[in-house]
Amino acid sequence: MTTLARTLTDRVTYRRLAYLLLEVPLGTIWFTVLVTLWSLGFGLIVTPFVIPSAIALAFATKWCTAIDAEFARSLLGVDAHVPAISIAGRGWRERMHSLFGPGFWRAQTYLWTRWLVGFPAGVLMLALVGFPISLIVEPLWVPFVHGGANFYGLHIHTFLQALAFVPVGVVLLPLSVAAARPLGGAIIPLTGRLLRAGNEPWQAAAGGAGFGVAGSARAGLALAGPTRRGLVAHAAVDGVLTAVLLTIWAATSLGATSLEYFWPIWPILPFAAALGMHAWVYSVRHNPELARRFHGSVSLAGSSGVAAIFWLFTACIWAVSGGGYFWPIWTLLGFAIVVAVHAAVVLLASPRQLVERIESLTASRAGAVDVQDSELRRIERDLHDGAQARLVALGMSLGMAEQKLADDPERAGELLAEARAGAEAALKELRDLARGIHPPVLTDRGLEAAITSLANATHMHVALSVDVPQRPPATVESAAYFVVAEALANAAKHSGSDWLDIRIATVARHLELEIKDDGHGGANPDGGGLVGLRHRVEALDGTLEITSPAGGPTTIYAELPCV
Amino acid sequence: MRVVIAEDLALLRDGLTRLLRDNEIEVVAAVADGESLVREVLALRPDLAVVDVRLPPGYRDEGLRAALEVRRQLPGTAVLVISQYVEPTYAEELLADRAGGVGYLLKDRIMHVTDFLEAVRRVADGGTALDPEVVAQLFSRRRHDEPLERLTPREREVLAMMAEGRSNGGIAEALVLSIGAVEKHVQSILSKLDLPQSSSDHRRVLAVLTYLQSGE
Repeated sequence: MTTLARTLTDRVTYRRLAYLLLEVPLGTIWFTVLVTLWSLGFGLIVTPFVIPSAIALAFATKWCTAIDAEFARSLLGVDAHVPAISIAGRGWRERMHSLFGPGFWRAQTYLWTRWLVGFPAGVLMLALVGFPISLIVEPLWVPFVHGGANFYGLHIHTFLQALAFVPVGVVLLPLSVAAARPLGGAIIPLTGRLLRAGNEPWQAAAGGAGFGVAGSARAGLALAGPTRRGLVAHAAVDGVLTAVLLTIWAATSLGATSLEYFWPIWPILPFAAALGMHAWVYSVRHNPELARRFHGSVSLAGSSGVAAIFWLFTACIWAVSGGGYFWPIWTLLGFAIVVAVHAAVVLLASPRQLVERIESLTASRAGAVDVQDSELRRIERDLHDGAQARLVALGMSLGMAEQKLADDPERAGELLAEARAGAEAALKELRDLARGIHPPVLTDRGLEAAITSLANATHMHVALSVDVPQRPPATVESAAYFVVAEALANAAKHSGSDWLDIRIATVARHLELEIKDDGHGGANPDGGGLVGLRHRVEALDGTLEITSPAGGPTTIYAELPCV
Repeated sequence: MRVVIAEDLALLRDGLTRLLRDNEIEVVAAVADGESLVREVLALRPDLAVVDVRLPPGYRDEGLRAALEVRRQLPGTAVLVISQYVEPTYAEELLADRAGGVGYLLKDRIMHVTDFLEAVRRVADGGTALDPEVVAQLFSRRRHDEPLERLTPREREVLAMMAEGRSNGGIAEALVLSIGAVEKHVQSILSKLDLPQSSSDHRRVLAVLTYLQSGE
C-alpha cells in the first residue's frame, strides 16, 4: 500500500504517464511521415525527384528523432543524443555519407522500434487509464443517452446503475496510473541504448545534429542547426524542380483546348511544406528573439512552427482534393495535443532548468575565478624569478662597471656587455610572459594569424583550417586561442604524434573548434591544463569535450557561444 | 640623414633621439602617434621614418598602419618599424609593395648600437632589415622542407642573414668569413633552392622571403 502511495505521489510516475500517452499521437505522426517518405522515395526511384525526397527523408528522420528524444529527455530523464545526420561535407560522396551514414540508420532503427514497442505501450496505457475514467464519468451522461452504455455485455441504463460502478473506477484509476511507472520504465533502456551519445563523435562534431534543449549545451551534438547555405540550396533545388514540373505541365497542356488538371500541385505542396519547416527551424535557431516568445524554448518554438506548417499542409491537401468532410480537424487536434503537452513540459521544466542553470553558472564562475587566480599567481612567480631577478643582476653589473670605469676600463666594458645581455634576456622573458597573458597579434589580426604564429613555434605539422567570416568577441577569441595553445602544447609533449589537425568555424553563432592528433591517446581530461581550459571555456558558457581513448587518437572539441 | 621618429613612450622616444643624434643622424621630428607621423613625413620628407608598432589611440597596430600609409602616400620613404614583439604577418604586410627600404626589428636590437645603426643606414639606403626572430619563424615554417634540409648548417646561417637583408660584406663580417667564401655559399644556396641570381641585395631578400613564405 505504501509502495502504491509513494508511486502515486511521485512526479516521475506522471511524467512517464504523459510520455506514454503522448506516444499515441507522436507515434502516429512519425509513422505517417516515415511511411509517406519511404514510399515516396521508392515510388520516385527512377526519376530525379528521388534525390529531394531522399534528403527530405533524412531530415525528417533527424527531426522526428530530435523531437522524440527531447520528450524522452525531459519526461523520462534519459540522456538521449540525436544521431548525426547532416548534409555537411565536401563533394557528393561525403554529403551522402553524412546524410545516410550510421546516424541515419540508427535514427531509423530508433523510430521504427519506437513505433513497434512504444505505440502499443501507449495504446495500452490509454486503455488502462481510459477505462476507469469512463466508469467515473458515466453517471454524468448515461441518464441522458438513449440506450445507455454497454461494457462487454454489461448494460448500464440508469443513473443509479452507473453510480454503482463509480467506486470500481475510483479503485482502478490509481492502479492504472501506477502501471505507468513500470511500463514507462521498460521503455527507458530502449531509448537509452539506441540514442546513446558518442558513437560517432567526429561526425557529430563536424555536422552538428540540431535540436538540443534550450540552454543545455550537449557537446559534440552541436547546437548547430541548419545553415544559411543549406537553406538557400534547399530553396534553389525546390525552385528548379517546381520550374521543371510547371514546364512539363504547361508543355503537355499546350495543345489542349482547356488547361489540363493542375497535377504539379501534388509534388509542390510537400516541397513547400518541407521548405517552410526548414526555414522556420533556421529562423528559430538564428533569431533568439523568436524563441523568447515561446517561453525562451528553442525546441518549443521549433515544434510549434513545424506542427503549424504540417497542419497547413494537410489542410491544403484537403482543399486541393476537393474539400468535403473536413478531416484535417483530426490532424489539428493531434498537433494541438502534442504542442500543448510540449508547452506544458517546457513550462513545468523551466523552474527546474533555471535552478540547474544557476548551479552551473555558479560553478563555472567559481572555476573561472580559480583559473584567474592561479594564472595571476603564476605570472607573479614568473616576474619574481625571471625579469625582476635579471634586472637586479643588471643593476649590479652596471654598478660594478661604474666603479671600475676609472681604473679598469677593460673589466668595465665586460661588465657592460654582461649588463646588456641581461637586459636582452629580461626583455625576452617579459615578451614570452606577455604573449602567455594575451598575444598582441590576436588582438591585431585575429585567430588565424595568432594560431599560425603558434604553429610556427612548434615542431608539429599543423593543418589549420579557419572559417570565421566575422571576428568573434575578444573574450571568445582569446579562449579559443588558449584552447588551441594548450592542445598544441599537450600534443607536442604527450601524444607521441607530430601531426595536428585544427579546424575552427563559426556555426550558428557559435565558434566551434576541433583539434585532433594521431597519437596514442590516453590523455587525462581531469589533468591540470585541461581542467583550466574547461573552466576558461565554461566561464563563457561554452563546452569542452575531450575524447582520448587508449590507443588514440585524442580529439578536443570546444564550442563557444558568440554573444 | 634626416629621420622622423614615432614612439609614444617618452622615455624611449628621447632615448632613441639621443642615440641617433649622437651618431650624426638628424632627427627632424619625434611624434607620439600615427596621424602625426603621416603629417610630419608628408611635410618634412625625411630619408627614414622609425615607427613603433603599437601607438595610441588603440595601442594595437596603429604604427604599422601609419607606416604603410606613409609608403602609400609617399612611395620611396624608407620605414623602420620597431616593436616589443615580432610577427611574420607584419613583415609580410610591410614587404608587400616589394619596394625596398623596409625594416622590421625588435626593440631589443637597439641595444646592439652598432648593428642597429647599420640597419638604420641600410634601410634608409633602400635595403632591408628583418629581425632574426622573424627569419627564424619563417624558417620554422619550412622545417619539413626538403631543399632546406639539403643546405649545410653554415649555408643555413648564411641564408638566414640573406633573409635579414644583409649584404655579402655584412654577412662576411658577422660570420668572420672572407667575402669570397660568402659569395661561394650564396651561389650554392641559390642553386640548391633554385632561386634566380640577383644583382641587388633587396631583390635577393625578396626572392629568399618569397621562398620561405611559400612553405606551409
